[in-house]
Amino acid sequence: MKHKTNSNGLQVCTFIALICVLFMSAAHAETMQSNEAAASEVAAAPTPEAAASEVAATPEATAPEAPAVALSPFEERLQLCAGCHNPDGNSIIPENPRLAGLDKKYILIQLRDFKSGDRTNATMSAIIQMVDEKEFEDLAKYFSGQKRQISVSEKPELVEQGKQIFEEGVIGSAAPACMGCHGEDGSGDAKFPRLQGQNAQYVVNQLTNFKSGERANDAKGLMRAVAKRLNEQEMAAVAEYMSTLKEAE
Amino acid sequence: MKTILSTVIVLLFGLQAAVAEAADAYVPKVYGKKGYVWDEMTPERVQVLKQKGDPVNGKEAFRGCQGCHKSDAAGVREGVYPRLSGQHASVLIKQITEIRAGIRKNPKMLPFVQDPAISVQEIGDIAEYLSTLTSYRENGKGPEDLSAKGEKLFMTNKCYTCHGKHGEGNAEKSYPVVAAQHYGYLIREMNLIRTGVRGNSNPDMVKAISGFKQSDMDAVADYLSRLPDYRTVNATPNPALVVPESSSAAK
Repeated sequence: MKHKTNSNGLQVCTFIALICVLFMSAAHAETMQSNEAAASEVAAAPTPEAAASEVAATPEATAPEAPAVALSPFEERLQLCAGCHNPDGNSIIPENPRLAGLDKKYILIQLRDFKSGDRTNATMSAIIQMVDEKEFEDLAKYFSGQKRQISVSEKPELVEQGKQIFEEGVIGSAAPACMGCHGEDGSGDAKFPRLQGQNAQYVVNQLTNFKSGERANDAKGLMRAVAKRLNEQEMAAVAEYMSTLKEAE
Repeated sequence: MKTILSTVIVLLFGLQAAVAEAADAYVPKVYGKKGYVWDEMTPERVQVLKQKGDPVNGKEAFRGCQGCHKSDAAGVREGVYPRLSGQHASVLIKQITEIRAGIRKNPKMLPFVQDPAISVQEIGDIAEYLSTLTSYRENGKGPEDLSAKGEKLFMTNKCYTCHGKHGEGNAEKSYPVVAAQHYGYLIREMNLIRTGVRGNSNPDMVKAISGFKQSDMDAVADYLSRLPDYRTVNATPNPALVVPESSSAAK
């Protein structure tokens, strides 16, 4: 009995520590970039819900030991996501995906797959255990309604090569063009996610995981078949291009 | 010899596993191997032909193909990927099911037509959708106009027996439309068919082009690539647009 209590206590401590680390890193990343365009973009980003701007201003308030009294359960939940994905879903942490503007259904599929274990990620698989499935709908709706921010690349040559791959594929290895499924401007839909402005490092990681089969929740296995035909350099190029890709007018 | 034989046997079993569950007893036979029957009605092909293809579903299922064949199914001008728009549904069904069955060797395409990329139902849906589609991108033609020589070869070797005088093929017999196909693709496939590498060569065609020099294939390919879309040749005027004689006389 005593032993059980101890292990529970340990788990709680671990969770608290994990959350603290997450928010500290988010806060740190924001401070780091405070003079840069990214941060001003985030600040200027439309935040239809008042909660979102509150989160941006005071990420420390989300620590479990000091809950903000005024927050609704949904707003509180959003803070959990915001730590890694930013309040408006435009994560500025390179390894984390931008969720803003993803199709609602696509987000739902990913949340459910993380919950069931069909998609795994060290952080996300742990965090998702704290979120009830009943909350998925509102979260998906919120992030799909945010506007996707586009990045600026300092590697024009890589962007140019990436554009070629995005639009024409790779002829030698017969890798199909990205725009075949994701749309000519990478807008995506429920089956194939929006690629515009996505963090390049995140895209490279996903392509690598699809190639190895570590990630296998792609629609009809198509992404795995494509990623197998891309090498590391091509992945880096196409990811860099996507980060700069704008939605067609 | 024994090892080769056992490798072939292992391969055949592997291919068999890839065939749909309905085709349990089916073993694909490839051109050049004993027992090869051209245009064999494989169980899966029979199944697809029995179903009614839905072009709306087909358009959605075709999205996974667009990365190579483009959104208007025009393929690539250089001929790396063929033009599929306006191709007979029966031809598309034959080729897709034969690629899935391992009869036609197409490792580039295989992962995108295998389960789970497309289902048996979607084969017919995609074929139905493509057969009525018109590409807005132009097809690739030869570097110089060899159509006079190409036409002569096409006629004297009686290629039209199967492919039609306008390169329109034959939907009923699953002979493909070759008019307005990419020059590069036509040359590549002629070579693959003649050497048997394609896996599903028609022995009659192998015979018909066996005497062709490379320059002859270039000429035939150039001729076919310059033919208009067969549908514009065979188009019957839309009755709604035909001006009645009386009204034209009144003018």
